[in-house]
Amino acid sequence: MNTVDSQTHQSPLETWQATTANPFDLAKAGHLARRVAMGASLKVRRTMVRAGVEEAIDRLLAPGRGEDVDSFRTQVIAIDKVGALRDYRMWRLLAGRDRLRERMSFFWHDHFATSFQKVRDVGMMARQLEVFDQHGLGRFDDLLLAVSQDPAMLRWLDNETNVRGRPNENYAREIFELFALGHGKYSEEDIKAAARAFTGWQIRDHRFHDSRPKHDKGAKTLFGKTGPFDGADVVRMTASRPDSAQFLAKKLLEFFVHPEPAKDEITALAQCYTDADRHIGKTLSTLLRSRLFFSERAMRSRIHSPVDFVVCTVRNLGANAAPHALARAAAQMGQTLIEPPGVEGWPRERAWISSATWLLRTNFTADLLRGRGYHLQPILPPELSGGRAQDHLRLATEILVDGQVSDQSMTAIRHFLRETGKDDAATILRAVATLPEVQML
Amino acid sequence: MKITRRDWMKSAALAPLATSGTLRWLPGGDDRCLVVIELAGGNDGLNTLIPLDDPRYAKARPTLSAVRKEALSIGEGFGLHPAMKGMQALMKRGVACAVQGVGYPNPDRSHFRSRDIWYTADPGFKNVKATTTGWLGRAADLLAKQGAAVPGLSLGSLEVPLAFRSRAVPVPSLQRVEDYQLLIDPQDRESFIDFVGSLAKPGDGGDLHQFLGEVSQLALTNSEQLRQALGRYRPKAEYPTDQFGKALQLLSRVIVSGFGTRLFHLRLGGFDTHARQAPAHNGLLRTLSTGLAALVSDLEGHSCFDKVSLLVHSEFGRRVAENRSQGTDHGAASVVFVLGSELEAPLLGTPPRLDDLDDGDLKANCDFRSVYARMLLRAGIDPVPVVGEIEALAF
Repeated sequence: MNTVDSQTHQSPLETWQATTANPFDLAKAGHLARRVAMGASLKVRRTMVRAGVEEAIDRLLAPGRGEDVDSFRTQVIAIDKVGALRDYRMWRLLAGRDRLRERMSFFWHDHFATSFQKVRDVGMMARQLEVFDQHGLGRFDDLLLAVSQDPAMLRWLDNETNVRGRPNENYAREIFELFALGHGKYSEEDIKAAARAFTGWQIRDHRFHDSRPKHDKGAKTLFGKTGPFDGADVVRMTASRPDSAQFLAKKLLEFFVHPEPAKDEITALAQCYTDADRHIGKTLSTLLRSRLFFSERAMRSRIHSPVDFVVCTVRNLGANAAPHALARAAAQMGQTLIEPPGVEGWPRERAWISSATWLLRTNFTADLLRGRGYHLQPILPPELSGGRAQDHLRLATEILVDGQVSDQSMTAIRHFLRETGKDDAATILRAVATLPEVQML
Repeated sequence: MKITRRDWMKSAALAPLATSGTLRWLPGGDDRCLVVIELAGGNDGLNTLIPLDDPRYAKARPTLSAVRKEALSIGEGFGLHPAMKGMQALMKRGVACAVQGVGYPNPDRSHFRSRDIWYTADPGFKNVKATTTGWLGRAADLLAKQGAAVPGLSLGSLEVPLAFRSRAVPVPSLQRVEDYQLLIDPQDRESFIDFVGSLAKPGDGGDLHQFLGEVSQLALTNSEQLRQALGRYRPKAEYPTDQFGKALQLLSRVIVSGFGTRLFHLRLGGFDTHARQAPAHNGLLRTLSTGLAALVSDLEGHSCFDKVSLLVHSEFGRRVAENRSQGTDHGAASVVFVLGSELEAPLLGTPPRLDDLDDGDLKANCDFRSVYARMLLRAGIDPVPVVGEIEALAF
């Protein structure tokens, strides 16, 4: 299974090269599209194949000017309903031009999981997501500082009540454990020191406010160094720790490559990230071109989260759908945007799949194809609207699973279609959409 | 009592255990149930079961100790939080008890690590791997071996907790019964079920492939049977209308209908009370207590309570000292509640001392796995493969 060549001892991050025996085909283009762009129409995936791997990735990394995704932003904040913000962000995940940026904002929304349930301020939540848009592909130090001073975060982890003489450890603990270092890479004393350093970072008029009178100016000992540290010092000292590089490398690998990355893969990406001066975008540019990214082990090794699933299904079908309906469907399956269940973010991988959510997922696709329940038009991919009926099954497998179907599954689909006596596009797509591969990312 | 495998075999011989073999929907033998209710976020045990006469309590908690005045006495110098009238009544009737000082050595103050330690019943737990199993998942595997088709259910949320991660049998979650039905043209239903079955042949693909195939088959076969079984239930108590009340009523429906599921997990969240704890904690304990009172009365009305044991626990308690935001930070040992028939006494375990703290936290004197072991025994499940050979707490 492992295509990382163990005999030649090449780095897992070495650039992957297409060969005649192992070309950049629809399966690899589909992999790239799913992991970076949350799916793409068959037409787009075929264009990627024709362009070749290098150009396909270049286009994803530098999308150029598209429609202005910010045009609804002020309206969303003015409407002041969390549902409007959720629909707006779902629309961007579905149709936003800058696919990698949208994907990374979604990644950081899970990583720095903050919920409207406690923050109770739509504008604050909207601005936190904009912090991810702005810094999500930049230097991690800048992102971590912006998040640490973000009003939604200050409220979410109680730093607004963290003041001199009355430290509240909540943010200090989570910045180490969940945001930047990982469990066990700090001491309880480090938490106490960091909590004191973050005192005075408050909210005023819905904005960040650095209250000097509420800041504890005393000396603190953090990671073995002593000084009158403040929050910015903690962020700088934390982001530059080698443990942080390992922690983020693992998290990025889990998201983009494989849910259980190997130790040497983590070490290699941590080194790459350090060499890139902790620049996320540059790190990803290397990772997404790597042998590791295109390895057999990476392909369909993950399970779609509900948001991934609904967006990817619609995008692969080359269709459009009401963002509100998609947001609601994902919420039913357990993932409500803007409201992650806790600071640890959403469940991952197999935890998403139970028989209940499997039913919701298959029912979602059925509704989508029939245009039922979600205030949608029935979806019919252009490839299936004409041509010969006998080509439709093959095209349906290319649309939904890049044509990667075992002979056995193909036989089962044909048998099902014979049994029902139906050969319309919706029935064919429903059958293909039942394949386990459709749940895999 | 230390349980060895041999002891277990002896006691198992007395219990009407199901024989292994064919899949069974309705229990033919043992139908005792174990329900676990997780108070997520870290419940403040010290303000749940309050040491009424300990001056150190009031000293450590200048504002939060105000609840002591109206605490509901249950004897031995302890009182329940005033919002827990329902629980007090259950304890007085001998169908609920509190176990004090429950935890594990070297307590971890991270929600997630500590929660996973409780989920896996492994105090040394580090990271979730594909092979990780939860304690309820291991119990579900045992019941599956005896022929149970749906040994466990996660109720009230679509997420299945790590506690239920099993090897042999995926555990479903159930939020609303209506969502648990396949949408398909009725005339295609049978062909579709056959089709899903033919996709899920073992050895068809990688592990992930197989897992998804199994879940899809399980979904189709279970949803219809569940719908039929649930139709037999008529409520005999009025439940609170909040989410937790709804989940408890769903639990009662599944138990009363004789569906055959014996393990359940439910969650009530919001216990991470770092700031302005008093009103939030009051509401949460009221939700818990009124919900449980309704559940017990409904199950009793259906003559089903005798076969049910409930455990209410949290990933940790909170610091003894109140913080300066009128809240409490992450702590260690805490109180758990057990509900069921024929309990020994309302108060069990040794109260942790407020003058002998571990870095500001209560010290555990009762291993949570010994509580698990007792709960498993009450439900007729061999505790040894689930939590190892550990002394079961007596109650």
